[in-house]
Parts: sequence; C-alpha cells; structure tokens
Amino acid sequence: MLQDKLLIWRLRRGNVDALRQIYDKYKAYLLKLAITLTGDACHSEDVVQDVFLKLAESYDRIGVHGNLRNFLITCLVNRIRTLRRDGRRHQAAQCDGSAIERPQACRPDQWAVVNEQMQRIGEAMVKLPVEQREVVTLRFEAGLGFRQIASMQNASVNTVQGRYRYGMDKLRSLLNGEVDK
Amino acid sequence: MKSADEIKRLFHSAAVQTNAAPDGAVFQTLKTAYTRTVEHKAAQREPSIWRFVVRNPSVKLAVAAVIVIACVIGLSLWRTTGSGIALADVLARMEQVKAYRVTTSAQFWSTKVTGEEPNKPYNFTEAHYTWLTSKEYGRKSTHGELDPNGGWSKTAESYCLPPKRTYISIWPKQKRYRRTQFHDRWAEQFEDSPYSPGRLVKRILEYKYESLGRSTIDGIEVEGFRTTDPNHVVHIINRGESEIQADIKIWVDVKTQLPVRCDSTYVLSYQNKKKYEHFVEHDFQWDIPVAAADFEPVIPDDYTGIVIKYPAHITEETAIEGLKVWGELLGKYPEKSPLQIEADDADVGDAVLRLAEKSETPAALRFKEEMKGLTDEQIKNKLVDFLMPIRGLDKFYMALQWYKKDRAYYGKTVTPKDADKVLMRWKVSENEYRVIFGDLHAETVAPEKLAELEAALPK
Repeated sequence: MLQDKLLIWRLRRGNVDALRQIYDKYKAYLLKLAITLTGDACHSEDVVQDVFLKLAESYDRIGVHGNLRNFLITCLVNRIRTLRRDGRRHQAAQCDGSAIERPQACRPDQWAVVNEQMQRIGEAMVKLPVEQREVVTLRFEAGLGFRQIASMQNASVNTVQGRYRYGMDKLRSLLNGEVDK
Repeated sequence: MKSADEIKRLFHSAAVQTNAAPDGAVFQTLKTAYTRTVEHKAAQREPSIWRFVVRNPSVKLAVAAVIVIACVIGLSLWRTTGSGIALADVLARMEQVKAYRVTTSAQFWSTKVTGEEPNKPYNFTEAHYTWLTSKEYGRKSTHGELDPNGGWSKTAESYCLPPKRTYISIWPKQKRYRRTQFHDRWAEQFEDSPYSPGRLVKRILEYKYESLGRSTIDGIEVEGFRTTDPNHVVHIINRGESEIQADIKIWVDVKTQLPVRCDSTYVLSYQNKKKYEHFVEHDFQWDIPVAAADFEPVIPDDYTGIVIKYPAHITEETAIEGLKVWGELLGKYPEKSPLQIEADDADVGDAVLRLAEKSETPAALRFKEEMKGLTDEQIKNKLVDFLMPIRGLDKFYMALQWYKKDRAYYGKTVTPKDADKVLMRWKVSENEYRVIFGDLHAETVAPEKLAELEAALPK
C-alpha cells in the first residue's frame, strides 16, 4: 500500500517511470478482472487500455492518500458498463446484448494470453446475469467487501449479497466437474 | 455442487499474461498521453508561492541542503539495504518526529576556470545555520556568519509560522524586519513547499543512490547512503544556466533509524568560473520538546519593518489586476518591468508613492487624497493592501522566469490604449504563447503570430 501511495505521488509529479511501474504491476490483474467480467479477451484489452489511458490523463484526480487499486477497479467496471450500454444501444435490433461478452478467438498478436482455467471461468461467467457477474468478480478477484460493491452498484448490501448467493449457486452448477480438474 | 473455496481456488489458478510486442506498444500510447497531459497541466499550474517568499539564495540553498536528508531517504525507499535497514521505516520514523533541531555549517568559495591562477580558491566564506522545526508551530531559523574576531554573529533570523499565516524575517545588523502575511491556502501549500521537511521526506524518489555501508560517527553506529544526482536541488537552486554537480552523503543511526549527519557538496559551473558550496548538517536533536515561545519572534522597538500581503492566487488574473492598478495610477505601464523596481520589497511602496506623486490620473488623484494627512505609519498600513495586486504581479512575473517560460514585457512602448500590442507574453506550450495586450485582454497565440505581433511593436 505504501508503494502505491509513493507511485501515485511520483505519478502526480510527472514521473514516467511511475506510470511504467503502475502499468507493469496492474496490467495482468486488470486484464484478468476484465476478462472475468466480459468473458472476452479482445474486448478486455481495449477496456484495460482505456483504463490506463484514463489514469494517464486524470492522474491528478487520485489523491496521494487515495487507493490506486480501487481507482483502477472502479474505472474498469465503469468502462465495461459504458461499453455494454453503448453495445446494447447499437445492437439492440440484432442481438440479445451478449455480443460483446461472448468469448472469441483473438488475433495472433493479441496482448492478453489466458490459461485454460481463465478460459473456463470466462466461459462460465458470461452465463451469469451482469449484476451477479460483477458481484462475484469484485468479491473473488478484487477482494472488495459487500458494502463497497453495493456502493459501486448503487444497490443495498442485502441486494448485493443476494446477487452473490445466486451468482455462486449458478457458477457452482456451471463449473461442477471443472473445479476438480 | 462445489464449495465457494473450491471456486475461489479455480479463480486464483486462472491467469493472464501479456505478450511483449503489443505490451510495449500499449505502454508507448500511454506514455504519449501521459507526457502530453503532464505538459498541459504544467502549463496551467499556479506556482508555489513559497518559492518566492524565501528570497536569499544562500538561505534557499541551506534549506535545500537540509532537505537532502529527506531526499536521500526518499530515494532509497523502494529498497532495503544489504545490512537490513528498512528505509521505509526511516521515513515512517521521521514522519513521527514532532520537533527537531539541526545545525548546518556551510562553506562557499569560487575558482576561475581559466586565467592566471585557474583552480585557485577565492571569495571563501563560511556560514552557520540552525533550524528548529515543529509540526505544531512551524520553523525558526537563524543565520550566522564568521565575524572578523573569529566568532559567529547572527545576521538573520526567520520564522515560518503556518498556524499564524505569517513569515517573518529579521536582520539585526540593519535593525530591519519584514512580515509577510499569507492567505489560508498558503498554509496548506506550506506542507507542499520545498521548505517543509515533512513534505520533503517524500521528495525526489526517482534519483539514484548507493549504499556506503556501516560506519561510526561520534560512537554511533550508522549506515551511509550517497547520491550524486543533482536534480533534487535544481528546482530550489535555480541558478540560471549553470550546470550543477552534487555529491551528497547521509548517515542514519542504525538503532534509532534517524539521520545523524549529512555532507553535501555542490559545484555550479559557469562559463569562466566554478562556485563550490559545501554543507554539513550535524548535531541533530530529534523529538525535542518545544514551546510556543520558541517560535515567538522578538522584534525590538527601534527596528523598522514592512508588512507584505500577497493575493491568495498567483495567476494570470493576478498579473492583469496588478497591471490594471499600475495603468490606472500612472496612465501608462511601468517601463522596466511589471514591478518597475526589481529591488527590495521595502522600496516598492516608496516607488509607488513617488510615481503617484507625479501622476495626474483620476486614480492617482484619489490615491493622493487618501494619503493626505496620514502619518507615516498609517501610510505604511494603507499601502499593505494597495500594493497587494502589484506584488502579485511581481510574483507572477518571477514565476515565469523561474519556470523558464520565455517571458517578455514591453511596458516601455505599450500603453493601456494599445489593444492590439503585446504588453506581456510567456510560453505555455511548444506551440502556444499567452499574451496580455495593452488593454489587458489576454489571448493564446501561435509562435508565428507572436513573432508578427512583436515585429509590429514600436522600436
């Protein structure tokens, strides 16, 4: 945590090396989070690039005492929601809204390389409703508390806990047999 | 149906890696965006007023030397040393200190690069500073010089008192003092100023350092660190175009994890000479008890002084306000520079009174009417507020020089009636200049346009 605070401090002073360190530290983590949320590696690459761009252009919005990790996670979740909303708007006539979420075969020069487990999780997660997927991901991957997630989803803690419970139940069914492998 | 723990394990075993080639390209895009944003924000940034409150260059450098300690610790924060000192703990320990005292011994000399006696030292002087710093009250410093009898005589004393929104300098030999009253937001800025040790602990984290290993100073086991990167003080020294070499060594008490001594040498190279400045910080007293009385300046009755106020913000608007005051008072702008006299602060009031006396503008007549019949003390008090926009303008203009913004001022030939002529200009980015015109409206122009505007100025 101290290291993150110093990274923010250096970033705010215009230090490119700090940007490099933040990028190296969080890129794989954010990609994993994005793939879990979208189920789509190619799409996640764009999202994570957007998040880092947001950081590069709005670095002074994070206070020295701010939480860098949470800032990045919030940017990521918001970006995915925005794209999902835009995707729905643009594709409402043709699809059911899952077009941007479907796991796809990526180009050969892809940025993110996922292992088999990641592939399985991505495939299972896209079958959960969006809100449940967010709660499970933010709880499991980001380690956020229900209160924090409730704040991000603008919902009550009870609602979030319910979404988590339903999401986990469904995930258990979907992954049944997979977790033993 | 599997348990949450099993699913969690699956989540944790899921992994994402990145391919090197696109990885580099993505970062390059980020770097470009970041650099552009940093430059843009730098162009818009308001200067820290604290850079200009402390005017004496040697005091500035002495402060810089004191803060080197913080810097070197800052640099090392990322790593622990081979012998096991966790420098993050040193930083944390320093931040816990409520008050401390330190003494700085300084030596200055110069050498000629060429000529009959190259490398022979001349202009050798010594100085002595003591610093008492408290988180609660502020900072008190005394500055002494070697007198002809071999002793130390106090030449200046200063008090930086954020809780009282005041900065006071006292010169006993001249029997003078200067009291600067500052705005609330300056007090907040003090924590972010180059003169705040607490803030500076975290300064300049990016510079290289090396470990000097363990040693003993005055019977205390210490661990040493060294940096030769001068960038940590360049922003404070700001000696024009000179090149700066630095060699800083700091020793930290292995037991208390607090600094014990710091040696720093700076060599400033000019075209035909070199200036050497050597500082030793010693006699650190950490966590000492202090009282409010320690930070109460005592100013004898026979001392003369001035009170200075600056605007809360030092911005383009401040500069325009200052120029407006001048323009209305004199019917024209000051010829030499926006402050007219780049001299001691005390002279500014005299200059304004002298110039207003000769002017017949409505503002000057009003000003003279207001001053009529007042005592010297009352005039002095009246001037404190009247001069505030002018002092703000002065600081703004100084900041442009400090940040090397390619400033220029044409008050000699441009009047308040010249709406299309450049009165003042400075660079805001590679392709843009900000221009204040004679009628005090401001525009951003391209360098080519500026060249046209300046070519059209009367010679």
